[in-house]
Amino acid sequence: MSQLTEGDRGPAAYANPYLSGVLLGLTLLASYLILGAGLGASAGTARLGAFVEQCLAPAHVAESAYFGRWVEGGRSILYYYLVFMFVGVFLGGLLSAVLASRIRPGVERGRAFGAAPRLLLALGGGLIAGFASRLANGCTSGQALSGGAMLLNGSLVFMACVFVGGYAAAWFVRRQWHD
Amino acid sequence: MIETFFGADQLDTPRAMLAALLIGLAFGFVLERAGFGSSRKLAGIFYFRDMTVLRVMFTAVVTAMLGLAFAFASGWVAPDQVYALPTVYKAQIVGGLLFGIGFVISGWCPGTAAVGAACAKWDAVAFLLGTTLGAVAFNELFDILQRLGIVPGAHTGEVIGEPSEPLVAFGMSPALFALLFTAVAIAAFHAAEWVEKRVGGGGKYLGSPVLKALSIALAICAAALFILPDPLDAPAAPAAGLAHVELLHAIETAQDHLEPEELADRLVAGGQELVVVDVRPPAEYAAFHIRGALNISLPDLPEALEPYRNRGLIVLYSNGMTHPAQARDALARLGFTNAYLLTDGLQGFIERCLKPVSLRSEPLPPDEAAKVRTWRAFFLGNESAPAAAPAGKAPSSTSDNLPALVTTQ
Repeated sequence: MSQLTEGDRGPAAYANPYLSGVLLGLTLLASYLILGAGLGASAGTARLGAFVEQCLAPAHVAESAYFGRWVEGGRSILYYYLVFMFVGVFLGGLLSAVLASRIRPGVERGRAFGAAPRLLLALGGGLIAGFASRLANGCTSGQALSGGAMLLNGSLVFMACVFVGGYAAAWFVRRQWHD
Repeated sequence: MIETFFGADQLDTPRAMLAALLIGLAFGFVLERAGFGSSRKLAGIFYFRDMTVLRVMFTAVVTAMLGLAFAFASGWVAPDQVYALPTVYKAQIVGGLLFGIGFVISGWCPGTAAVGAACAKWDAVAFLLGTTLGAVAFNELFDILQRLGIVPGAHTGEVIGEPSEPLVAFGMSPALFALLFTAVAIAAFHAAEWVEKRVGGGGKYLGSPVLKALSIALAICAAALFILPDPLDAPAAPAAGLAHVELLHAIETAQDHLEPEELADRLVAGGQELVVVDVRPPAEYAAFHIRGALNISLPDLPEALEPYRNRGLIVLYSNGMTHPAQARDALARLGFTNAYLLTDGLQGFIERCLKPVSLRSEPLPPDEAAKVRTWRAFFLGNESAPAAAPAGKAPSSTSDNLPALVTTQ
């Protein structure tokens, strides 16, 4: 495990991206062969949102057209394999970061950009991404990676659209990374 | 053949939750190793500054795509064992565009933000908070989205739309699509290295042994897919199809039949493992049945005959041949290789084996006439009667019960 020095964000500290990609692909393959379903992340946070809303307004969630489907059968909204997978992703990331001494609390941003506006952008971007991943039935994990590997038409279209949307909006938010 | 949690309908069991947690653990570990606990690194792809996302993501997609195609083509896993997300174009196009915008604004996506949060990046925590709010917003706006036609009208499952078929690939053959996708990915890797080098300082994997080896390995695997049968035709179809062909061949060559004379001889000889099954209603069975036959109704056959599966000989009969033939085929499909039906049914058995020699329209050769007498004694005499009982002296109580034995012609 390489010990990182302050300000060292170069790729040398990280694993070879191509080897990481192969390992990620094998993890995805294992998910398909063991669970019978691909990887997923956005369902975890979405169910957390549904769970909080249920605590505040249970009747409203039960009768709502989308979240309502998740409470049928009487099980907890959080009893879902992708919620457990999300917890696993957090713990796996934590394990790797601890081993690599990469836990450094802070708000990642360009030196010329404030922490508060950066947090607002992250929150706003999260709001859009959270909404979009419900609309598309998944995010980069569930759709682009998992659906793409299964050659699903919709997932491949989703993957292309993510890059189109990202590149189209990149110029407007470039300043947050200016040093 | 692999049975998945999804295939076994056990994706909601505690064991599946544990499996998902462990797979998530590996997922998060690899993401962090690759540097995806950093939003600056993730956003780099949109400024051609750091193409790590492209490298990792496309290597992963191609690796899993080829692995899955091999698993399907070799029959290792059946396509119905894996869940395929629905294809809902409008929702996925709008969702994809919005997701890309959210991705570049925040520098995160949900999976990587979980890793970022584990690394104590507060912008990742803010992003995750945003995604939960976004999901709640989606739920509240669901009706409006349906009215706008972005979300399909009928919503019945946990996700939008109906599950789709795997390996659709826009109607292309999966092997061809995988090869093209692999070729594009390898080209994109090299282009990414080149772009990075030009924009500033990166591109250090250009010409590296790892990239070379990966490119060659992926290309070989993708090309090898063409040797294997089409992934979607391969799994269940050939095995089942072959069995059906064998079954039909057996029917054509009458290997599924047993002649009444042979059955009679075998029963008289005794000593062999021979199960004769009468599939008629109990009342008809009670009136008369071939000596030693069991009375089993059609639906009970598989269970009742399980002890005799591929052991000895199973002979099915009814009055005619239709029901036994259908039952035999069903048993053959269930893997019984030793099930037969009686040619011409019970009526044929009576006509050909039990009809008194004196009532026959054509005289029988002496040896056959002797056989008929033996059979009559065995099948019409009471169970303890000696096989050599004189012909035509069957107890009247039994022969009275014989329907149409004398009046057939």
